[in-house]
Amino acid sequence: MSREAYQIPTSQGAGGPGAGNAAVAGRAVDNEGLPMLYICGDCGTKFPLKRGDTIRCIECGCRVLYKERTRRMVQFEAR
Amino acid sequence: MAPAATSTEWDHEYNTLRRQKLFQEPPTDRSAYPLLQVAVDPHIESFDALFKPDGLIERGLADIGTRIFLDGDDRSAPVGRNRLTIKYKSVQLQKSQIPITNKFAKNREILPAECRERHVTYRGKLSATFEYRINGGDPQEFTREIGQLPIMVKSRHCHLYNNSPAQLVAKKEESEELGGYFVVNGIEKIIRLLLMNRRNFPLAINRPSFANRGPSYTAYGIILRSVRPDETSQTNVLHYLNDGNITFRFSWRKAEYLVPVMMILKALVETNDREIFEGLVGAPNSKGIQNTFLTDRVELLLRTYKSYGIYTKAQTRAYLGEKFRPVLGVSETLSNYEVGTEFLRKIVLVHLGNVNVTEEQDSDKFRMILLMVRKLYALVAGDCAVDNPDAVQNQEILLGGFLYGQIIKERLDELMSTGLRAAFREYWRRFPGRTFTSQEFQKDFPAKIFTKLSENIGNLLEYFLSTGNLSSPSGLDLQQVSGFTVVAEKLNFLRFISHFRMVHRGSFFAQLKTTTVRKLLPESWGFLCPVHTPDGSPCGLLNHLAHKCKIMTSAVDASAIPQLAAELGVVDTSSAATDESVVVMLDGKIIGWCKPTESRRIADTFRYWKVEGSHGVPLHLEIGFVPSSNGGTYPGIYMSSEPARMVRPTKYLPLEKEDFVGPLEQPYMSIACTEPEIISGESSHVEFDPTNMLSILANMTPFSDFNQSPRNMYQCQMGKQTMGTPGTSLRYRTDNKMYRLQTGQTPIVRSPLHNAYGFDNFPNGTNAVVAVISYTGYDMDDAMILNKSAHERGFGHGTIYKTKKITLKEENRTKSAKNVTKLFGFAPNTLVRGWDRNMLGDDGLPHVGRCVQEGDVLCAWHTVSADYSGNLVNRDGVTHYEKYKDSEVAFIEEVRVIGSESGNEPMQTISIKLRIPRSPIIGDKFSSRHGQKGVASQKWPMVDMPFSESGIQPDVIINPHAFPSRMTIGMFVESLAGKAGALHGLAQDSTPFRFDEQNTAGDYFGHQLKMAGYNYHGNEPMYSGITGEELAADIYIGVVYYQRLRHMVNDKYQVRTTGPVVPTTGQPIKGRKRGGGIRVGEMERDALLAHGTAFLLQDRLMNCSDYSRSWICRTCGSFLSIQPTVSPFVGKKKTVSSVRCRNCAKRLDEMEDVDLTKVTGEIWEDGQGTQWVGGEDTTLVAVPGALKYLDVELAAMGVKLKYRVDPKDAPRKGPLVQTNWDALSAGKKANGLQPALVAA
Repeated sequence: MSREAYQIPTSQGAGGPGAGNAAVAGRAVDNEGLPMLYICGDCGTKFPLKRGDTIRCIECGCRVLYKERTRRMVQFEAR
Repeated sequence: MAPAATSTEWDHEYNTLRRQKLFQEPPTDRSAYPLLQVAVDPHIESFDALFKPDGLIERGLADIGTRIFLDGDDRSAPVGRNRLTIKYKSVQLQKSQIPITNKFAKNREILPAECRERHVTYRGKLSATFEYRINGGDPQEFTREIGQLPIMVKSRHCHLYNNSPAQLVAKKEESEELGGYFVVNGIEKIIRLLLMNRRNFPLAINRPSFANRGPSYTAYGIILRSVRPDETSQTNVLHYLNDGNITFRFSWRKAEYLVPVMMILKALVETNDREIFEGLVGAPNSKGIQNTFLTDRVELLLRTYKSYGIYTKAQTRAYLGEKFRPVLGVSETLSNYEVGTEFLRKIVLVHLGNVNVTEEQDSDKFRMILLMVRKLYALVAGDCAVDNPDAVQNQEILLGGFLYGQIIKERLDELMSTGLRAAFREYWRRFPGRTFTSQEFQKDFPAKIFTKLSENIGNLLEYFLSTGNLSSPSGLDLQQVSGFTVVAEKLNFLRFISHFRMVHRGSFFAQLKTTTVRKLLPESWGFLCPVHTPDGSPCGLLNHLAHKCKIMTSAVDASAIPQLAAELGVVDTSSAATDESVVVMLDGKIIGWCKPTESRRIADTFRYWKVEGSHGVPLHLEIGFVPSSNGGTYPGIYMSSEPARMVRPTKYLPLEKEDFVGPLEQPYMSIACTEPEIISGESSHVEFDPTNMLSILANMTPFSDFNQSPRNMYQCQMGKQTMGTPGTSLRYRTDNKMYRLQTGQTPIVRSPLHNAYGFDNFPNGTNAVVAVISYTGYDMDDAMILNKSAHERGFGHGTIYKTKKITLKEENRTKSAKNVTKLFGFAPNTLVRGWDRNMLGDDGLPHVGRCVQEGDVLCAWHTVSADYSGNLVNRDGVTHYEKYKDSEVAFIEEVRVIGSESGNEPMQTISIKLRIPRSPIIGDKFSSRHGQKGVASQKWPMVDMPFSESGIQPDVIINPHAFPSRMTIGMFVESLAGKAGALHGLAQDSTPFRFDEQNTAGDYFGHQLKMAGYNYHGNEPMYSGITGEELAADIYIGVVYYQRLRHMVNDKYQVRTTGPVVPTTGQPIKGRKRGGGIRVGEMERDALLAHGTAFLLQDRLMNCSDYSRSWICRTCGSFLSIQPTVSPFVGKKKTVSSVRCRNCAKRLDEMEDVDLTKVTGEIWEDGQGTQWVGGEDTTLVAVPGALKYLDVELAAMGVKLKYRVDPKDAPRKGPLVQTNWDALSAGKKANGLQPALVAA
């Protein structure tokens, strides 16, 4: 992807590129329990968690999850 | 054909491809670095010794034995009451597992890596099986869970046991994970190795404090630390009294008891005075009988004991039993005789018979005490010398696993005796009618009664590991109660591995004023490293094992020895004269006596058999042959096969084979250091390598034999402070603080051990071109100039990882979903500032990869409570934030969401790993590997650096003055070798003791340089980078491995002009963290005074400290009586128009018949509207805030301070006379200091 083609993801981006609008629409209605993507520490599955969900991998029951790296543009002054 | 096994042979070469392959494909068979595992093995093996069949715990259970409980009233006689006997049948430890309540987890194992990540303890379920019978009926069994016991990583009970590197990597560990530590709350803890007195060996001691024990006690004594089969110990001491008598001392449950030694002797076996006399002195025809010193005292010993009037074994045991019944806490059903037997079993020479003591064992104990008495009399008579308890010769090592087992055993004992007894008492109190035979009791027995007692042994051990504090009713025969565990810091790999080789003398000795315990004694050769000890307060107390030193963790089979000894001419009869017969002992048991002339032959024969491996003499047996001497150590052959000994490999010359030598035997052997040093007919052994005496770390110092020895000590310390590579599984670690060097390299100059220990997996520094030159003056006083371009290329670039754990759980709450009171995230349906919103994700956690600065939010949370349907709802609509408080810029490296073990909790704990980049800046500390540390003083532009004829510019410039006084010639040699190695593409072997006067290192590497077309001496003509002129002298330039130390200015600098102050005094607060100041103390004040820098002093002590302006009344000289006037017309505006002294003013309404027209001065009002007049003589002065505080404090005590603002304000003494100020003498003027202080 070229630099110009990069688009700052607007929502948390649940699902693929096509799902963006639906997620935004859903957000407008219900502000509670938005899913974020987490990576299982054991099997590497990516899956969403809502507010108040129990912390475990849906696949393997692993108890350590990592937050996904942000898809926002991250830039710093290089010094 | 199976692929060839992974090679474990290493030389000093780079082996780049081989290492690359090891990294890409971790071996599936075994580690390529077995030495690393060997270094840690004593820890693991000692832990494994606990729970195996016939392990230490099992033996401990046998020692705990059976408990008898009676029902009914405690005060009534035992007859007619039901009895319940109970004992431990076994104790089992399970591997770490998910509790069965968690139905979601596919993989039931909890791996150590998960415990680190989740900040929890790596532990497994511990359960005990009890067996009980009531009134001697059929035995019944039940099992109880007694908590979760922390498990040592890589022990038999760990999931990583015997895993190959490939498996370890799959389990998120290092490929060379060593284990040997515990994971407690996510922190790696190890139990320190402790030096203890040698077990089962009578030590002759002269200790002045012995004389303080009571009247007629002397300084002489024999200490024998007797160790039970379960590795718990009981120290027995014999004290010599002035009159020749001897007392037996022991401590039991932290209290000390004294018993006449004769009583012990008579209780052990059925004996008579003649047998004791002959056992001590010898047969009537022996030489011992001529020793009148001895015979006199033995006679007295026997005579004084007559006063007790106890003669037979049964009488004595009954007497002892009666006296020690309350102390031992035995069942009331035992007779006095049985209690006496129990006393002997539990306390007297427990190594010779501890469980089911036979008559033969009692006789062994009897003979051992006779030997101790004999040695004590010999010591007093001066026939033998004292043994030095500070020498390794008389020491052994308390291994972590053994200590762990001791604590478990004691806890189990406590649980059954104290705990169960209390539970029964409680039960009888509640149900007085019930008995052991009643139906109700049988229903209640295991379940209901056991719930009453605290049976969580796992928690107690977790406490022990996390604090290092031992809370024990018996004290475990140890001299300290704290400091048993340390954090295994993974600052870099050298530090980490050093923790496992660390041996501490005991924190008791740290307080000792004398330095004798800290001395480096020749006995430690080959066992403790002479170089690797810190300087400062732990110097000499905290030692490190030599890298070849091994600690035995299990007993070797020495069952053939007594028979062999008998065949070699060891007999049962003996004499007190050591020139007639000397003792032959095996593990503290006397197996016989022999003639001194024969003792050497016997010892030599045993040794030959031992190395040969024949006759059933094990290789690791220690044959301590102490020859007869004139007043030297008490002679004999002391053999030892037990664990916890140190042994080290040497070459046995007669067979040219490996022999293992122990510390007791070593001082009496002739071990040549190198092959040429072998003296024919004298040397029996030769060292495999002289570097065997050095620790792992000391071996990493290149050419350390060229250096002055303290410099090698410094390097051992600095190697452990280096910012290096802690490991490769950094992603799965959550250490609070972790340092990492980004641009680590393998050193050009290194020893083969560097590869054998796999230190290339954990690089610790960078090869730097170093010029020794005084250039620009910025390299003065151990400063070093960095090449700016080298810095830009990444020289010494490092990173710090900090992990912040944020938990919403309240401490000590039972975990369940109902108790969730807070959740991460923004409070739903509330307005959140866009700024905060943007910094965090929708889940309230930071974006991974974000840059955070001081004051940025790290996460958001809100309170919740359950509504009627059980949903968690936020009610207050407030979002709370956790802030990033450090002043440095950091990046969010990882955000870890931590679930609970049961898998049914919402997000309650997260751990955020922050990455702080730390490129080298001025003020950061660097060092070479020769104790030459320095601080970066400038990053000098490359164009201005000097350059050599081949165009090389140094990365680092150090000052030549760093060398003459420190004499680190090794650094010069490393520089030469490094340069030659870099030029030829060689790895240079830097093992010490490889060069000598004929073949010098300078010559060897000089020729290499010459071959590469460089100066033989390593000097080169250089040109000034600034002028381009050739420098007048040739410059010594070469390649040296540089370490970046973790001390960085960014963690140290402390400056302030203004900032937080202490409210009471107004002075700056203390502490760098809180933005406090550095104290200008008395000595600093003196220096400023001496320089006459009064303004600077004023600035430091006043203006930058507690400067305050205050009103004072000149008339009464007080700060406390002044007050601002309040104008009735201006209103509430806060304007201090004028300040008056309330003390000097007069109240208008209290003055009688005031004539307002005649009042002198202005009338003013205070806040209450009262009108006053006078008190106008006030002024504003600058004083320290502390002075005002002092004034107030003194006023509270009733002391008034009066200040003279001006000499004119001084109270005059005598009658009022007109003073001519100019006429005053100069001396009087000096007296009137401004503002002088006069206490009224």
